[in-house]
Amino acid sequence: MASTEVTTTIQSEWLDFAPLIILLPMVAFAVILFLGRVFNGNPFWKNTLKEGGLIALPVMGASLVLSLLLISEFLGGFNPLKVFDPAVADKIAWVNSAVWNGGSTVTPVSFGFGIYVDHVTVMLLFVAAFLCLLINTFSIGYMNTDPINDNRNHRFYAEFVLFCSGMLGMVLSDSFLWLFIFWEIMGLCSYLLIGFYYERPSAASAAKKAFMTTRIGDVFLMIGLVMLWDLFGSLDYAVVFDTHNIEEVAKHSAGTLQWALGLMFIGAVGKSAQFPLHVWLPDAMEGPTPVSALIHAATMVNAGLYLVARMFPFFGAEALQGDLEDLAFIIAAVGGITAVMAAAIAFVQMDLKKVLAYSTMSQLAYIFTGLGCAMYLANTLDWHHDDDAHYIVVVAFGAALFHLFNHAMAKGMLFMASGSVIHEVHHAHHHLHHHDDHGDGHGDDHHDDDFDAQSMENMGGLASKMPITATAMLVGSASIMGLPLIGGFWSKEGIIANAWRVAQDDPRFFLPATCVLLGAAMTGFYMSRMWFKTFAGKPNNEIAAHVGPTNTWIKTPLFILTFVTLSSVIFAGLGFTHWASDNSYELGEKGLLKGLVYELEHAFANSDAFFFILTYVAIFLGAVVGPGLAMALYGGKLAEGEETKPWMRPVIQLSAWVNKRFHFDNSAFAESTLATALENRLYIDEYYDKAMVNIVAGFSNKAAEADSEVIDGTIKAIESGSQSLSSVVRSMTTGSARDYILMVAVGTLAIFMLIWGVA
Amino acid sequence: MIDPALVSALSALMFVIGLGGAFTRKNAIIVLMCIELMLNAANMQFAAAAVHHGDTTGWVYTLFAIAIAASEVAIGLAIFLAVYGQHETISLDDVDVLKN
Repeated sequence: MASTEVTTTIQSEWLDFAPLIILLPMVAFAVILFLGRVFNGNPFWKNTLKEGGLIALPVMGASLVLSLLLISEFLGGFNPLKVFDPAVADKIAWVNSAVWNGGSTVTPVSFGFGIYVDHVTVMLLFVAAFLCLLINTFSIGYMNTDPINDNRNHRFYAEFVLFCSGMLGMVLSDSFLWLFIFWEIMGLCSYLLIGFYYERPSAASAAKKAFMTTRIGDVFLMIGLVMLWDLFGSLDYAVVFDTHNIEEVAKHSAGTLQWALGLMFIGAVGKSAQFPLHVWLPDAMEGPTPVSALIHAATMVNAGLYLVARMFPFFGAEALQGDLEDLAFIIAAVGGITAVMAAAIAFVQMDLKKVLAYSTMSQLAYIFTGLGCAMYLANTLDWHHDDDAHYIVVVAFGAALFHLFNHAMAKGMLFMASGSVIHEVHHAHHHLHHHDDHGDGHGDDHHDDDFDAQSMENMGGLASKMPITATAMLVGSASIMGLPLIGGFWSKEGIIANAWRVAQDDPRFFLPATCVLLGAAMTGFYMSRMWFKTFAGKPNNEIAAHVGPTNTWIKTPLFILTFVTLSSVIFAGLGFTHWASDNSYELGEKGLLKGLVYELEHAFANSDAFFFILTYVAIFLGAVVGPGLAMALYGGKLAEGEETKPWMRPVIQLSAWVNKRFHFDNSAFAESTLATALENRLYIDEYYDKAMVNIVAGFSNKAAEADSEVIDGTIKAIESGSQSLSSVVRSMTTGSARDYILMVAVGTLAIFMLIWGVA
Repeated sequence: MIDPALVSALSALMFVIGLGGAFTRKNAIIVLMCIELMLNAANMQFAAAAVHHGDTTGWVYTLFAIAIAASEVAIGLAIFLAVYGQHETISLDDVDVLKN
């Protein structure tokens, strides 16, 4: 029903080079893997090229430069580039095929590859390319200094760049089909990298779990895409987002469209680790820390959000007004439930990376809630004609996208900082306990002993030992908590406010709205708890007392990201929230200072009494109640004679004071059934395991029975039958010549009689 | 001239004697002699038939059969020698390697 012609032509110098952003890492993948096989053990390869790390680095750098050129050109206005009017590069025909349409004719179809650039693309392109480069830098400091990785880092870097290729491809591609293809490439790399230490059974099973869980979502995504194809006759954005095509579909199959989008949303739930498909993400921390930082915190888990954000044109379409509000509610509700659940589980985690993993789930859930609310507003309000409504929708959608940006930056940094801590604790442990057996294959033993370098039990008081890491962690935590003026504050307040705005229209939304407000306090608690347990107080043991500063490869990205996170206030001032979602807004339109004043006024002195109070309640919960509780329980001075940077000193002193003044005994809670349930991840994994055992294993047993009984049985019956027949035949061969003569005589006689009888 | 029917009867008698001998004797050489006897019985039958029909074709067959029988005896004896080399006997009851 829809034409697949792409008519938009845009004069752009760098758009034609955009495929290189994807292709360069893909080529680097093959090169690193091949060279790694050839040069393993070669000192030049190992020391100078860092086992491929220094091949990956310039490639990611080139991808970032090309991305930045494209972005700057986009911002400088090759500018019919608005949300619903995107730039589409000339498509490279990839597959020409024909689809039988049920009659006697066939419809010719061509699947081409094209580049699609709009505001969402530009934002995610920057996030992905920038973080890929930084985390690549971090990896060189993290992976290449650990002997356990010797001679297999090439595998890490190869899979790493392939992942980057998948992520950048997903962001840039111009159809849901290509989105799905790159989506699966990322899934594959995620699987391979979680199982990087495949000799550890826990890593191998975590990899399998991640792959299978996301695969469940992907099956639904695929069904959703097929349904979408059925409705539109194409999966190209240019076709499915076309207003006339949407109108055409809305006339008689709006319900089917809602189902298609809903099934696609299940795919997003799997990829972004939301309830009920969240079980894979905490286990995925078995992978090396750079992988956790890039794939399982900053980029791949955003793929699900990107997919949902891509559905916005459907929700915003006039023709579909009011038809998709149930789906918008489901999106927001899934987000709200996950936000609270993950935050609660994060309360009791001892593993540094697990805290961050649950925090990732919780924050992604915030973004889902934000998107769900924005979709609801876009779907119910008459925002195409009403200026006020237009503003509300744009700000709601923008807040969710801005939180995606802030969270990716902050969480990438937090994971790298946690990696830095783990790396140094690990080295300190190694230094103290394996002092004399250097050089005799110690690489094998130090991951097997009882010492857990990721447990916060083995840290404490590290603020003086690792000042840059501690600062990065502090800024990152503050951003995630939404402390006023820092990073995530700008976007999180927006999400909470919009959730409550929608709740006023539709009482169903009280669920997600309450969840995100409650989640703000919970985030404040678990992030502070993590920071104080790790960096404040006295070292918990001898090992933590001997931790040293980390190396430059690790410090550099932390340093850069600290500033990026802090500069979120500038992005807010430039009007990022409006720009990311509005097709008529330019970055920095109001001017930086004026924009900033506008944003501040809006955040702290809202003219609407309800939102005025809500803002301060949220700030109070997130910045006072949560951290205050954490300080009372876990705060403390550094050890005697330890000094830290001036900006961390007041935080630690405040925590020590609160701890002294308000400390209370929480052992009653720690021993309660709720705490036990949280430690066991609310038993969800166990229920899944049981369901698996009963359903899947039961089915497998039946299938195995059918195999051995029916199929094998038939073959065995044929075999034994022919054997017994042959033993009967064999008994006739006696080996005695006389018997043979008799047989010949009798046989001849018989033939003779036959002939005689016939004649 | 002898009645061909009598010759046929003699031939049948010789064949039966040969067959019986081939069934019952153990010694391979005797069995071979019995087979020769059966062949000669057949030759005799050919000759008798030739006389009876006044056709020389039967004579020709007889001559062929005698030549072939001679070479067959040579081969048979050579086989017995080889069997003796393997089994140190040519008693048919003891040579049964093809059993089952």
